[in-house]
Amino acid sequence: MDAAGIVLSAAVAGLFAGAPMSLLHRRAGYATATVASGLLFAVAIVALVAGPVQGLGWSGPLGDPESLRLDGLSAFFALAASTVWIATSFYSLAYDDRPSPLLAICYSLTLGSIALLVSSSSLVLFLVGWETMTLASYGMILQAHGRSGRVFSASFVFLAFGEASTLLVFVAVAGLRVMTGTFAEVPAAAGSLATVVFVAGLIGFGLKMGVAPFHMSEWLPIAHSSAPSNASAVLSSTLTLAGAYGLFRLLSLLPSPPLWWGAVMLGIGAVSVLLGALFATVSEHTKGLPAYSTIENNGLILVALGIALIARTDGLPGLYVFALFAAFYQALAHAVAKTALFLSAGYLEHAAGTFDLNSLGGRTRGSDRTAYLGTLAATLSLAATPPLAGFVSEWMVLEALFQSYRFHPEWVQFEGLLSGAAVALAAGLILVAMVKFMGFSLLWRPRATAADPRAPGLGAPIAAAGAAIVGVGVAAPWILKFLTPTVAAFAGAPVVAPVGGLLSVPDGWSIVSGSPFGIISPPVIPIALAAGALVAVGYYALGRRRGARRVAPWMAGSVPGLERETYTSFGYSTGIRIMMGSLLQTREVRAQVGSVTRAELATPVSYNVDLEVLDVFKVFYDGLIRFGEGVASVLKTGVMPGRLGRYLAYILIVTLVVVIYVASAA
Amino acid sequence: MSVVPSWVGQSIARGILTTRYPREPATDAEVPATGRPPVPVGGPATLAAAVRSCPVGAISEAAIDQGICIRCARCRTHGLEFAGSVESATRSRGDLVEPSARRDGTPPPLASLKRSLHVFLIDVGSCNACNLEVLALANPFYDSQRLGIFFTNSPRHADVLLVVGVPTDAMVEPLRRAYEALPEPKAVVAVGACPIGGGVFAGGPGLKGSLAELVPVDVFVPGCPPTPVNVLDGLLTLTGRDRRPGGT
Amino acid sequence: MTPSAEETAGATVLPTRDAERALAYVAADGAFALYNDYRAKASVLERDPRIPPTEEPALTWRGGAAAGAHRPLGPTPVVEGYGVFTFPYGPVSMGVPEAGKFAVRTYGERVLSLEPLGGFKSRGIGTSVVGQPVEDAALRIERMAGNFSASHVAAFLAAADSALGREVPEVELWTRGLAQELQRVYNHLHVIARVAEAASQNVGLAQTHALAEEILRVQGAVFGHRWLFGALLPNGPARRLDAPDRSRTSRELDRLSDEFEALWELFLESRTFVDRIQATGSIDRAEAIRWGAVGPTLRACGVDWDDRLRVPAHPYTDLFVALPRETGGDALARVAVRAAEIRASFLLLEQILDRWPRSATKTVAPAAPVGPGRGIGRVEAPSGDLVYDVRVAEDRVAALGFRSPSQANWPLFAHGMQGAVFTDFHFAFESFGLVFAETDG
Repeated sequence: MDAAGIVLSAAVAGLFAGAPMSLLHRRAGYATATVASGLLFAVAIVALVAGPVQGLGWSGPLGDPESLRLDGLSAFFALAASTVWIATSFYSLAYDDRPSPLLAICYSLTLGSIALLVSSSSLVLFLVGWETMTLASYGMILQAHGRSGRVFSASFVFLAFGEASTLLVFVAVAGLRVMTGTFAEVPAAAGSLATVVFVAGLIGFGLKMGVAPFHMSEWLPIAHSSAPSNASAVLSSTLTLAGAYGLFRLLSLLPSPPLWWGAVMLGIGAVSVLLGALFATVSEHTKGLPAYSTIENNGLILVALGIALIARTDGLPGLYVFALFAAFYQALAHAVAKTALFLSAGYLEHAAGTFDLNSLGGRTRGSDRTAYLGTLAATLSLAATPPLAGFVSEWMVLEALFQSYRFHPEWVQFEGLLSGAAVALAAGLILVAMVKFMGFSLLWRPRATAADPRAPGLGAPIAAAGAAIVGVGVAAPWILKFLTPTVAAFAGAPVVAPVGGLLSVPDGWSIVSGSPFGIISPPVIPIALAAGALVAVGYYALGRRRGARRVAPWMAGSVPGLERETYTSFGYSTGIRIMMGSLLQTREVRAQVGSVTRAELATPVSYNVDLEVLDVFKVFYDGLIRFGEGVASVLKTGVMPGRLGRYLAYILIVTLVVVIYVASAA
Repeated sequence: MSVVPSWVGQSIARGILTTRYPREPATDAEVPATGRPPVPVGGPATLAAAVRSCPVGAISEAAIDQGICIRCARCRTHGLEFAGSVESATRSRGDLVEPSARRDGTPPPLASLKRSLHVFLIDVGSCNACNLEVLALANPFYDSQRLGIFFTNSPRHADVLLVVGVPTDAMVEPLRRAYEALPEPKAVVAVGACPIGGGVFAGGPGLKGSLAELVPVDVFVPGCPPTPVNVLDGLLTLTGRDRRPGGT
Repeated sequence: MTPSAEETAGATVLPTRDAERALAYVAADGAFALYNDYRAKASVLERDPRIPPTEEPALTWRGGAAAGAHRPLGPTPVVEGYGVFTFPYGPVSMGVPEAGKFAVRTYGERVLSLEPLGGFKSRGIGTSVVGQPVEDAALRIERMAGNFSASHVAAFLAAADSALGREVPEVELWTRGLAQELQRVYNHLHVIARVAEAASQNVGLAQTHALAEEILRVQGAVFGHRWLFGALLPNGPARRLDAPDRSRTSRELDRLSDEFEALWELFLESRTFVDRIQATGSIDRAEAIRWGAVGPTLRACGVDWDDRLRVPAHPYTDLFVALPRETGGDALARVAVRAAEIRASFLLLEQILDRWPRSATKTVAPAAPVGPGRGIGRVEAPSGDLVYDVRVAEDRVAALGFRSPSQANWPLFAHGMQGAVFTDFHFAFESFGLVFAETDG
């Protein structure tokens, strides 16, 4: 174990150590987590630059060697996660003002277990980390402000889905054990079990990623959004990242996939992208909206991964590698942007005391520039605006999708076509969602009377995350080169980063898809933008000299300023609600309030109107729950009614059966 | 019914309707008697007889205030006749009082609005007749666009505020906002007797005396209501272009 | 015209003869209610038995007591809900080139309720005419709404004549009829032009706009004023309409009538026009009656009520009045009724000019006063039933009440807009032919 290995071991241990430190003081716990995240960040970079890092190792209880280890694949996820954690842990120092240390303890445990599962070299250790993560994050969600029945029910649903996920992951791990004969992470040879492992793993990890059809409005969006904001950021950015890591790791261990694996992943991804974007657009919750956006982003990862697998089967190595780069970049871009957005939601909660975009209506611009700029970068990035991180990743995913015309047979081509349409539509929808979030939280005229929007210490981490978003976007070609070991580790062969040059752009400054299919240069975009901005600023300065007047907005002669007379965020997205009515099952619920005296002509009728949308999958799960409850009630009343005589009869029957079995066996 | 039963056929069949004003004088069909200001035809002696006939007090022994005349024609039996010039719009309120000391076109037209005009109509308490006369400028008979005069949907895009109606208390604030929303350079045209001096409603409860009390007025277009030709004349008076020598 | 089954079984529509049927014209103390009994096909001005009469009720019109800007023009449902907000429209916009405002309650896209707000252009006509001689008062009345001047003056004068017991020269009544029918044609053309504008049927707009302008020119030629101001006053400057004038006017109207026929046929063939107004701003027959709709709005819902037939007065008693009716209740039906009425009015104009009274001295007795020094004047204005209630004392106006068709129809427009989308606003609004000027007074 070299120096890097010691640092890795220290980082993982440090993250866990945050829990006991929290008992001293919750700030001590967060400070420990910040430092340990920094260590993990450093060692992840070392692992990507200088090759795998081997940490602490021991012999497992089942006789297999277990150790902490960062190879190319796990180093990438450790890097992405630790980037997020540095910001969230620092943010938590100011954010968490609860008297109880419970949130800090669960927070540290969650971080530690994610670090453990990512850096484990053994599937058993992975499973241990996975289950600890599920339980610890359940603990975090329970710490939501204003614990209501809704919070409890949401967190319980979260736990139920989490345990279902663990169960399936367990099946996958057991399958791998059978195929390889060891719990160590070694590639398996082809076998009939591979399909079982794949399906169990896809559903198990898909549950954690929250992709359709497991997104379930009750689970990821609500569970994440009812959690405290630092927890939401960790859950949405890195818990789902852990799911992605599991999927990547599993696929890297399985033998060459049949075509339908990729096709299934592409389909699931495309549906998730569309549904996530759609529900994000119609969400009015400052944390629900980013949570749905997480579904969309994880869907994009699956789309890229699906394309990659299909390309591999179809013998398109260039597209295979490019799609893999796209998938990793998407994971990275989402992690940083979503962190900023959730931290911003926490900032808004502190500043305005609400999660409701409708009642926010834009308020805090100007009072805290750091939070404002960080949120701006996050929303623009998630809306795929150049030159930010989200733009680069979405461009890469779309470029990969565009090349699906090279697939065989035709039905996969057709699937690529449909998925491309879904992703493009989602890109438009998510733009609406992000404009809504930014506009109605920080940009536009406030609806309610402004509360004190200052929340000291919360702005800086948001701005730092914003800076990371810009960095990941602008420096994309170099970061892609940096990720080469990750892709190589996944592909099991050396790869070349898809970068190049064109025209007068220097070599290595551009991202190239295909040979070349499309080309783009993220570093040049800000230069062009700066030049344009210079012109605008110059023009503005000149205009100022000529004497610009400031006048109130023209509202058809109306006097602005009445709260009821401002556009609501709900109204902003109602167009989508109505247009996409068949998908959203939009319906208007109108209830008459009070009674009407018909004799008086001038008596107005009073209505309460709500425009409701419905998640079609929720209907399915509700049905499932009702079925389960029905079965349980039959069992309770018919099979186990609590009568002694009935139970004695059961015992008698079982005894008889056993006796007959034993007798016949003998 | 034309041979080609279509909008095209219908349009061609109707031919060109557009007035030749301001290149040629306005015709009687375009401007009926009440589109012209009343002037004495029998000398000052008859003016004295007409004073009591006027319901709005526009006529005094010395002069006629064309600004508040509502063209009710009662003075026609007392020696006045609707025989003034169709081009009755003025740049100053004083010039509307006849006989005027000077009608030499002062102040001069606004040089800054010499080219195309974008016009925003604002109603501050009219009877709707002025609104419709102003909107009639868009019909094929007047076709204000041939003179580069366009109606806009927002004062933000307009050069000129065309104000119709007697300013009510409720419309003072919207009017002020509209005026502020106009980009510089801007101008205000008071269309009709109401904004000029209250018209028939002068002195009513909740009404302002005149538009000039609220915003600076650049052109006064008398009439009740002014015909589209009168309004066109008002806009051309503002810019000082397309004028035919001699007047109508 | 046989009454429909629905009409004869009107009891289901009108459960009791209560204030629902009352037109929104009441005395300030609520003692009088004027209503149309649609089943009996009669109109009644009757004392409300629930309210004890006072000595000298000061007359006013509904809403008059609450005058001032932002006055609601009729009952509008109150709508609340998550994300519901008020979208203000007006009082200054080119879409509605008049000073009036609309408060639209919406959660985005859809109009949940629409509240027309008036009072922005109240010029206080109802009170400022008190104490004035009838003739001076008429100068203000005709400027109540410039495009309905003939109807307002005719109704006001009919009420004043009745209150004063003045024998009216027959020629004067025919002149009022001529003016009213001309103005009806103008206003209906104007409505069609505005709807065409809303539907972006620009050629149709230009053609209709041009036709309307020609009507204004006919009015200018016949009466010396494009908007008929001063034309109908008893001692006003109205020209004597000689036989050559009449035949020239008749020929001119013939030409315009033909042009309109061709134009309307093209409108009906225009999908852009018809599609956009079909099923827009719909109200049904029961609603129309309950809220007290009048004029083409009412007739487009299948109720054949027209004051020219139901409240017989000179010259209409001598003329054939066609009564168009539609049953759709939507903007298309209203526009179709107006188009048919243009045709009917051209027919009336032809009759009026053809049968112009020979005698300049023959007089007609006015309607019987409804009380000492009090008369009711009722005419069918272009947008519907217009009522004036005038009291005179010593030849001066002592009190004035009126109920204009716009006042009556605002609730119908508000009702028809519920559930529509924003973009339907202009089609619906223009089809009702509502005017803020005659609402505020």
